[in-house]
Amino acid sequence: MDFLTFLSRRLVRLALCLVAVSIITFTLLQSAPGNFADIQRVTSGASSIGGTGTEQMLAESLSRYGDDVPAWQQYLTFMQGVATWDMGPSYRYAGRAVEDIIGSAFPISATLALLAVTLALLIAVPAGVFAALRQNSKADHSTMFLVTLGNALPSYLVAAFLIVIFSASLGWLPSSGWSRPEHLILPVLALSLGPAAVLARYVRSSMLETLREEYVTAAMAKGGPYRTVIVRHALRNSLIPLVTVVGPLLAALMTGTVFVEALFRIPGLGYYAATAAASRDMPLLMGTVLFFALIIMVVNLAVDLTYGFIDPRIRAEGGWGRSQLRKTSTQPA
Amino acid sequence: MGTIAATEDVDTTGVTPAERPVSGTGQHEAPPRARGPWARAWDRFKRNRLALISLIFCALLVLVAAAAPLIAPYHFGATDYANQLVGVGSEGHVLGTDQLGRDILSRTIYGLRTALIVAFGAELLALLAALVIGLTAGYRGGRVEQGLMAFTDVMYAFPSYLFAIVMVAVLGRSIIALIIAIGIAGWVTQARLVRAQVLTIKQREYVEAGRAMGASGPTIAIRYILPNAIGPLLVTTSFAIPAAIAAEAGLGLLGLGVQPPTPSWGAMISEGTRFLLAAPHMLLAPAAVFALSLLAFTWVGDGVRDAFDPRGEQR
Repeated sequence: MDFLTFLSRRLVRLALCLVAVSIITFTLLQSAPGNFADIQRVTSGASSIGGTGTEQMLAESLSRYGDDVPAWQQYLTFMQGVATWDMGPSYRYAGRAVEDIIGSAFPISATLALLAVTLALLIAVPAGVFAALRQNSKADHSTMFLVTLGNALPSYLVAAFLIVIFSASLGWLPSSGWSRPEHLILPVLALSLGPAAVLARYVRSSMLETLREEYVTAAMAKGGPYRTVIVRHALRNSLIPLVTVVGPLLAALMTGTVFVEALFRIPGLGYYAATAAASRDMPLLMGTVLFFALIIMVVNLAVDLTYGFIDPRIRAEGGWGRSQLRKTSTQPA
Repeated sequence: MGTIAATEDVDTTGVTPAERPVSGTGQHEAPPRARGPWARAWDRFKRNRLALISLIFCALLVLVAAAAPLIAPYHFGATDYANQLVGVGSEGHVLGTDQLGRDILSRTIYGLRTALIVAFGAELLALLAALVIGLTAGYRGGRVEQGLMAFTDVMYAFPSYLFAIVMVAVLGRSIIALIIAIGIAGWVTQARLVRAQVLTIKQREYVEAGRAMGASGPTIAIRYILPNAIGPLLVTTSFAIPAAIAAEAGLGLLGLGVQPPTPSWGAMISEGTRFLLAAPHMLLAPAAVFALSLLAFTWVGDGVRDAFDPRGEQR
């Protein structure tokens, strides 16, 4: 299949999926007690907003979504807002528009996720190579044991332990907040250990495979320096499949940020999604959920596209589809 | 037809035990028995020391959770204002207390109970949904399959954690709501797996034989196909359990778990970060038990996978 046809088909599918996600979310939220424009009357009493503010907000959302209009019309109003990037006021955060909150929160989550992937790669590649070069040694087994730990424990639990060690015991790093660079360290570290474990496992098995290739033996036989052969011949080739794992990991990391942001009280996208859900702030929840879903779908699409570039065989098999490599054990958290 | 099947049954069961001593040759060897796939899987599982220990540990966790009211020294909501935020090893409170003087050990035990009820409940729900949808889609084919699989595709695109968050926002913060939220968020992968299994098994001769003998659709799906699809399903389910435990704690961390004062590990950890300097045990105790449980359940999952994976025999 040629690239443009494939891309346009996938884009259509992505749009359809987004619409489906929005319909499901909206329908579910509709069935929650209270009406879409009315819910803040129920909840805002508890969320410490003054009486006049509540009345004003109520009037605002009533004028936006209308009183006594059918649900599908409210849905269309909301989706129109999504399309024009004007989703109206948030209930929970009085005076802030949903699109402003998303606009300010997304860069924070993206920074966290990208830094975490980078750090994960920096940890995983040396660890994986190290384990592969000493296959079945004690060092290999203990590296792989650490990998299992990193894989099994969700990022927020790792974060909890890191907080106890570096904030409570040693007092080196702050345990919450988002204003200085050192606020980045613990969250990024917590987020990166899980992906690092997954990546290290890939690097190790991929490296073991390439080390058995004839060209590596040939390079060794020609008397190339050990280090050069390992880095130039073996490592380089064994890193190619890694590209396919990083993408899904990035998507998984985006969900991982939800919990880490909540724990460290970082005002990222996940933090707002969680507070919106807890306070039933429907516009904000709809907005963040849709935006999250969009990002994850775009990342997945980008991954599928890179498969085609990396492995021409996938292109030959009816086009840019998903390959076996996709099966990563990405635990969402 | 029914009578023939019945006599055959009696025949085989009558003969095999009688033949066993004859066919067994060496006395030092265990008498060769008919080894079914389950028995072989169990043998392989037993050989994995870590998985076996983990299984025992998990069984212990289940027992403790079931007997929580008997084991926990206090009720999870019982406050002791004379002993607020006391540390580990205090008199009457082995793991200390929280800001309201509630016993951390008791709350951790009850947190385990919450986690396991939600995780097992959610997985049961997910498994049932996956079986019904996957079996129907795989066996019926045609329009039904297309419709059901389009639905699963949409749900697959919905990030499961977001879905769980939305569900809790809708259903409220109760155990049932959590089970539904996590269960529904988790059935999609399972349903796809069931369908894929059904599609391959459907082609086998014994299914065809069953059909030729006039068995109805549901009978074939449940009696012929399901037992043969259950191995891979067991593997994914055993990995889904720790994931569901983590999901329950994650929702608790976000303030979307069970209604307080009922303890959830996630909520306890979140609360613990507020009293980090005064009482690190508030965070550490539930986090440590949580981590151990997750590891144990994951290692059981590893063992189950190796036991059912044919490649495992080469190792």
